Amino acid sequence: MSSNKVKPSPIQRHHNGLNQFLRQPPTHNSIFKDMRITLCVLKATGLLPIYEEVSSYEVGPPTKPKIYYSFFIRGVVQTFTLFNLYNLVTPGSTGQLFYSYSDTDNVNKWIEYLLCMLSHSATVIICGRNSKLFIKILNEILKVDEDVFDRFRETLKNKCGFSLKYIVGICICQWYLIVLRVLAVKDTLNVNSYIFLFIYAVQNGMATIFIVFTAALLRILKMRFAHINTTLKGYTYSEQHKLRRIPGRDRDVITMDSFPEESLFIYRLHNKLLRIYRSINDCCSLILVAYMGYAFYTITTTTYNLFVQITTQRLSFNVLQTCFVWLAMHTCVLALLSKNCGQATDEANGTSQVLARVYGASKDHQNIVDKFLTKSIKQEVQFTAYGFFIIDNSTLFKIFSAVTTYLVILIQFKQLEDSKMEDDWSKL
Amino acid sequence: MAHQTVQPILVHFGTLFTFCKLLGLYPHDLQAFRGIHTLQSSKIGTAIVVVTMLAVVVLYNLLIYFFSSEDHDLKASQSTLTFVIGIFLTYIGLGMMITDQLSALRNQSKTGELYERIRAVDEQLLKENVYVDISKTAKNILLMIVLTVVSELIILISTYITLVDLTDWKSILWLFSCFPTLYNSLDKIWFANTLSALKQRFFVINTALEDMVESHERLKRWTENGGDGGGQIFRRPSIANVSIDPSLEYLYKELTHMEAVKAYNMARNKISPIAHSLNSFGDALETPKKPYKYTSQPPTFNMVYESELNKDIEKVEEKLNNLCQLHDEICEIGKLVNELWSYPILVLMAYGFLIFTAQLYFLYCATQGQAIPSLFRSAKSATITTIFLSYTAGKCIYLIYLSWKTSLESKRTGICLHKCGVVADNNLLYEIVNHLSLKLLNHSVDFSACGFFTLDMETLYGVSGGITSYLIILIQFNLAAQQAKDASNAAETNYNTMLTTEAGNTTALMDYFTTTFMPYAQTDLY
Repeated sequence: MSSNKVKPSPIQRHHNGLNQFLRQPPTHNSIFKDMRITLCVLKATGLLPIYEEVSSYEVGPPTKPKIYYSFFIRGVVQTFTLFNLYNLVTPGSTGQLFYSYSDTDNVNKWIEYLLCMLSHSATVIICGRNSKLFIKILNEILKVDEDVFDRFRETLKNKCGFSLKYIVGICICQWYLIVLRVLAVKDTLNVNSYIFLFIYAVQNGMATIFIVFTAALLRILKMRFAHINTTLKGYTYSEQHKLRRIPGRDRDVITMDSFPEESLFIYRLHNKLLRIYRSINDCCSLILVAYMGYAFYTITTTTYNLFVQITTQRLSFNVLQTCFVWLAMHTCVLALLSKNCGQATDEANGTSQVLARVYGASKDHQNIVDKFLTKSIKQEVQFTAYGFFIIDNSTLFKIFSAVTTYLVILIQFKQLEDSKMEDDWSKL
Repeated sequence: MAHQTVQPILVHFGTLFTFCKLLGLYPHDLQAFRGIHTLQSSKIGTAIVVVTMLAVVVLYNLLIYFFSSEDHDLKASQSTLTFVIGIFLTYIGLGMMITDQLSALRNQSKTGELYERIRAVDEQLLKENVYVDISKTAKNILLMIVLTVVSELIILISTYITLVDLTDWKSILWLFSCFPTLYNSLDKIWFANTLSALKQRFFVINTALEDMVESHERLKRWTENGGDGGGQIFRRPSIANVSIDPSLEYLYKELTHMEAVKAYNMARNKISPIAHSLNSFGDALETPKKPYKYTSQPPTFNMVYESELNKDIEKVEEKLNNLCQLHDEICEIGKLVNELWSYPILVLMAYGFLIFTAQLYFLYCATQGQAIPSLFRSAKSATITTIFLSYTAGKCIYLIYLSWKTSLESKRTGICLHKCGVVADNNLLYEIVNHLSLKLLNHSVDFSACGFFTLDMETLYGVSGGITSYLIILIQFNLAAQQAKDASNAAETNYNTMLTTEAGNTTALMDYFTTTFMPYAQTDLY
């Protein structure tokens, strides 16, 4: 949008003209290289549209059969969800899964299944609705990459390698959990229960993988913001002082002369990135709310279970393992999400801080700096969960303090339940 | 003047450094510190720190082992969870010390750079004719060390004499119970003094700006008085000389009930279009004014009242620019300090919260005649508890307070800068001030513990609220458990004589957590 409004400077036009001829054949696009498998998984599960790669810097809308495929997969998944829901509300079919002795535990488990379903359905529905937006986001990121490549002749790193590790980890966790769950039940399970468990694992995995994908997108943005900031850093007073101290090599040295032109490009880039940041937030915020609610609940109940296990004399290693796997998975994913959100936000806000260190000699330069700073005063860059709360490092802290509080409440309930049982027992 | 050098701030850290080095807290090179007052990393120092750390860990564990045999009956009936939490509470002090030492090792090379940067800032400040008085640092450090040592000794000796069994030679191990907190306090003294050095530099910058304002005001008053008769105001030629008729000034005074200087400014604001657009005031002043330009040289005795704001505008700009850059540099140093000490601060806050809650709870338990873990025996005496708590709380609160004050001080610079703009009151300066204040707005120094929470008064309030509510919850648990136990005891004596023996077994279970979860520990027995 802004690129339409702001006329490109003659030099840029020159660059663009040259690039028509100089553009290298599309080798490997960095965005797809790092996240290829993540994207494949998401495409296969119908969460992302199966887009066409038009060129190395553009993706096109999916073809008709592929759209139908996504629809079909989403439909199948939702049918299975309905199946699970039916199983959950009819008491007989999967009753074996609720084997725990305490009522509270069973209710907790039941709610957990329900929340997982909710989170997964929210993911599927919202992804289905926003499929065009996702393509737009990808295109915009690619556009930014192209601009950066044209300007600086360098391809940006993404450092999204973590997403693959996380996906593998999540899959292993889910399988492990199924095995543990099957082992935990004493009598033989019926087919319904097996299907139920499998679907539950798939739902869980998909909801979590999507969060990893969001984190990866944010990491991509963070790298781009960081690139802007490092470019601007060359103009700050401390760097300029350093340059003045080392005379001689003036060829590659950044001087203030190129500042107006460069800053214009960077402002535009920053605006584009901010828009992408906002659209990612718009796409994902509801999913994030659903997932965070689910994760919060799971962490609380799991910690509680763990606690109960430790306090009783009969330690069951099965339950202990289950608890640790759940805790590890959800904590890691939440930490990943909040870390990436926080980093992206910090980098986005860091631009104005870096720019504040640019001391232009002439009034023109000062005005350029002032304009950006004035613009950024009221511009709140925040990654929110549907406006409910801001996601950054402090979220993790808040979640854990909330978990502690609820844990205390749950323990109190448990105590009440026990003392009631004891009373009943002593009355006999 | 030409070769005035600044003393590095580390000169005043001598006592503290020697003390830390002696105890094996910091790994830096002693010779380099003595000689040229810099912190250099040294391998021998690292080895010493590691050895000290290991030694303290081993001795502390011995202490725990020795004293835990005292509450053997407590431990025998303890559930696994109680055991885990007990370990956690016992070891958090040790963990804190290890964190301090490890981060000291990790930051070895960076701390030297930090103080080098502070020295560079001091040099720059001196170039701007701003002198930073660091003579008080040594006194502050000494005071803090004395306070720390005195409180540690009081806690240690009083606990040792009144509450530890002196006849056993192994009780000498109790000495090591104070090591973790002592190490931690020394590290935090180091941090606090670095922080207050930064705060002082912010303060100095603010004072420099305010001095400029004051001298300018003085000059202005003097010129008004001096120019009374002729109605002339002498100005240096370089600034935009816009002044108003003295009679009009009188009118403003009547209308606005403001002092002359202020009204004067408002009038000036009206004239300058940029200033007008950027300031909210000046609407009421519709009177047309004729700008007079006096290019005549001021009289010689004007030198008595010299104002920097009246000098060549470029010089003023340069000075303000430099101050702004220094402000930024100090902010960056602040961020570095925060980063270097982020983990120790986080652990200290966690420690403060947990220990404060635990100590108060055990105090309650002790007053109720219940058994408490042997390592928290100081809770048996209210006086020692008070001293211990004020010592711990003092440490935490002082750090939070200092961080808060530092970031407030850094934010005040913008206000001081604007005062300059208002008092000098000319277009060019206004533009500079606006430009710089936008920059200042983006210099942020917020002290936080690893980004989890910021260190300010709000957090302090939250933490104290948290301590209170958890204390209430714990006491409630304790009461409920006591009640349940009484009830079950009564029931058992009535119905089943065989079970009383088991219940008698559990009467020793009066530990903090065991009592809490006793009901189902009993259910399991049944």
